[in-house]
Amino acid sequence: MKVVADRPAARWLPSRHRFALARLIGYLRLRRSRLTSEQPEHLILSIDRDQTALEIHLVALWVFVTTVCYLAAALPLVLPLAIVLAIPLAAIVIHLPVVVGGPLLRLMFGDGNYIKIISVTTMALLLIASGYFATTATWARAVAWLFFAILIVNSLASVIVWFLRGAIQAAEERCVH
Amino acid sequence: MTRSAWWRRFLVRGVFWRQFLRFAVLTVPPWVEPIVMAFWSIFFLVWGPGRRGVMRNLKVIKPGSFAITNLFRCYRVFWNYAWTITDNVRFKELRTIPDWEFTGFEHFQEMQTREGAILLTAHMGSYDLGAQLFSETSARRIVMVRAPETDPQTREFEEHHGAESLRIEFNTRATELALDLLHTVREGGIVAIQGDRVTGSISSLPATLFGKPTTVPAGPFALALAARVPIYPVFVVRLGRRRYRLITSRPIEITRSRNRDDDFARAVTQWMMELERVINECWFQWFTFEPHWPEQAA
Repeated sequence: MKVVADRPAARWLPSRHRFALARLIGYLRLRRSRLTSEQPEHLILSIDRDQTALEIHLVALWVFVTTVCYLAAALPLVLPLAIVLAIPLAAIVIHLPVVVGGPLLRLMFGDGNYIKIISVTTMALLLIASGYFATTATWARAVAWLFFAILIVNSLASVIVWFLRGAIQAAEERCVH
Repeated sequence: MTRSAWWRRFLVRGVFWRQFLRFAVLTVPPWVEPIVMAFWSIFFLVWGPGRRGVMRNLKVIKPGSFAITNLFRCYRVFWNYAWTITDNVRFKELRTIPDWEFTGFEHFQEMQTREGAILLTAHMGSYDLGAQLFSETSARRIVMVRAPETDPQTREFEEHHGAESLRIEFNTRATELALDLLHTVREGGIVAIQGDRVTGSISSLPATLFGKPTTVPAGPFALALAARVPIYPVFVVRLGRRRYRLITSRPIEITRSRNRDDDFARAVTQWMMELERVINECWFQWFTFEPHWPEQAA
C-alpha cells in the first residue's frame, strides 16, 4: 500500500475515494487546497480507495435509509410502526449477502478476499429492489427514483472523471511528489 | 474434541469471534461497514460483565453522570473497540494502513535514536496496530509484552495470524522474561508494555488514578531502572474511520537514589498524570472491560 507523508492536501487525492462522484469532488478540492495548509507535526496518509470516512459513511447511511424505506413500505403495518420495525430489520437484511454469500463463496473457492463479489452482489440486490419499488404505487417509489438519480449522477461523474483522467493523474503526482 | 470444548469457542474469549471477525474483514464491503459496526456494537452491550465493567469505570471518570448517559457512553466505547479490532485484523489480512497523525513527534523520534527504551502504553486505541506499524517502519527492534490468550484455540489462532515482523512475549514467565527483556533493551531494542492495569499475579506498584487508589505493573519501572533507559508514554488514539493519532509524551527518567520506593513512586506519579490526562480526553477509547479500581471490583 502506498502512503504519503506530510502532505495534508493528499486527503483529497481522488485515489483515496471509491465512487466517481467522490473522486471528482476530491479532485476539485485537491486543486483548491494549498500545499502549506495547517498540518499536524507529522502525518502519514494511506492511498486506498476506501480511505475517506465521509464518503463511506454517507454511502452507508444512504444504503441503510433506502433499505429501511423499502422494508417499511413492504410491511403490512401503519407507517410509523413499520418504520420503527424496519430499522432493526434493515440492519439484519443488509447482513444477508455477507452471511449467505460469504460462506458459499468459501465453500466453492476456499479461503480468500470476497469483498468485491459481495459488494457487487449487494449493490445488484439494491438495484433490483429499487427497480421493483420504482414501479409500485407506494411512497417508497420516491426513494427508489432517488436511488436511480444518485446512480445517474455518479455515472455522469465517472464520464467526467474519465475525460479528466490525465489532469487528475497530474494533480495527484504534483501533490505526492 | 469434547462437547464442552466445542462450545467453549463461542465464549467471549473463544476462537469463534476471532474467526468471525476475520471472515467479516474479508467479506464485508467497506460502504456497508458502518452499518455492520453499529449493529455489532449493540450486540457487545449484551455482554453483561463487559458492559458493567465499562459502566463502573465511567462512573469514576465521569463522576455524577446518569446511568443512562453512561450506557450511551458505553456504546461509544464498544463502537470504538469494534472499529479498532477490525482495523487491526484488516492490517494483518489486507495490509491496509490507516492514516496516522503524530503528536509529540520529537519525543517519538528521540525514542528511536536512544540506545534502548521502554514504550509504556494503555489499553487504548489500537495498541496492536501501533506496535505492528512501528515494527515495520522503524529500524529498532520492538518486543511487545502482553497477557496471553486464556483459550488454547484462540491462542493458536492468534499465533497463526500474527504479524511476522513483531515479536510478542507473554507476561506469564516472569523471571525468564525479565532477563530476556533486559537483554533486548540493552541491545538497543524497544520493549512495549501496557501499563494501565495489573493482570494475574504479576508484581505491582501502588498508584492513584482519578483520585482513587489502584495498582500498575511494576515490570516496566523495574526494567527501566535496571537497564537505565527512559520510559516513553505512548498512546494510540482512534480519531475516526481508519484514522489514528500517536501521542508520545515527555520521557519518564527514573533516577537512582538511596530509596528505590521513592524512585518508583516519582515515576509512577508521572505515568499516572499522563494516563489520567489521556483517559480524561479519550475515555471512549479506554478498553478496560473489568472494573479498574479494586473498590469497584469488590
